[in-house]
Amino acid sequence: MSLAPTTEEVVSPEGDVAPDVPWVTIVWNDPVNLMSYVTYVLQSHFGYSRRKAEKLMMRVHTEGRAVVANGPREAMEADTEALHGYGLWATFQKDS
Amino acid sequence: MARAFRRRGSGDRLRFVADLDADEREVVASLMEQVRGILEPPDAADHGDDEFAGIVAGLGIGRGDPLAAHHGDDVASDRDADEGRDPALDRLLPTANREDERAASEFRRLTEPGLRQRKAKALDAAVAVLQGDDRVELDPDSARSFLTALTDVRLVLGERLQLRADQDLELLERLVRSLDPEDPVVHVVALYDFLTWLQESLTSALLGD
Repeated sequence: MSLAPTTEEVVSPEGDVAPDVPWVTIVWNDPVNLMSYVTYVLQSHFGYSRRKAEKLMMRVHTEGRAVVANGPREAMEADTEALHGYGLWATFQKDS
Repeated sequence: MARAFRRRGSGDRLRFVADLDADEREVVASLMEQVRGILEPPDAADHGDDEFAGIVAGLGIGRGDPLAAHHGDDVASDRDADEGRDPALDRLLPTANREDERAASEFRRLTEPGLRQRKAKALDAAVAVLQGDDRVELDPDSARSFLTALTDVRLVLGERLQLRADQDLELLERLVRSLDPEDPVVHVVALYDFLTWLQESLTSALLGD
């Protein structure tokens, strides 16, 4: 991701996506999308708080990817489609 | 001289306002139209790609790799293996499942027509706005749609500039400083930076920063 002015330190694990649901939506890091924009998309599409959206965005940025949602396959496909609409590099897969 | 997006008013009268002169609006609108061309369904007249290639050729960067020295041969051979589909289209409509090719192609079959249509609609709406006045004024819905149109243009330009990793833009900007100011790559990088600046301001305004 590209640098943006707001990069607050986020360390707390609270608000993590629960790991025990079979399908996940993943957002992958890319060099074009802005950090602020990824935060904006996660807030707009998922209704996440600013704090949670920034935390997930930072995970994408530092780890190359982050699980941003989980649930039934159909829901993950719908999330992926919506995120492609926003221009994010999203995929869905069975949680491993 | 451009002025970035900022918030004006509130409630029903909330607007996102920027000032862009005629040249700036024209170049952004032109890029948006080229991206719209890339999004034309494959069975439509297959000229979108050529048009973009045209503008990019006009800017002198073609599909070459300005960071070739940095990327080595890997990128070039990746590109060769991926004939047919414009790599820019893979940024606009990426693979949705990296583990299951069948699921990915089924997803593509079901979602791609709608995604192409929605992206094209956002680009059209943004172009229409840019054909208006220097004062660009967007209501919240138009602002969101304008933002995705800017994203799609940056994705395509980023692909043409062969940005692959986070540090690539910095490398490219360093390269650009050593180039003749008339070099078309300098112009494309400046355009990309301008779009980034514009998008950053609109995103911040939407986030309420």
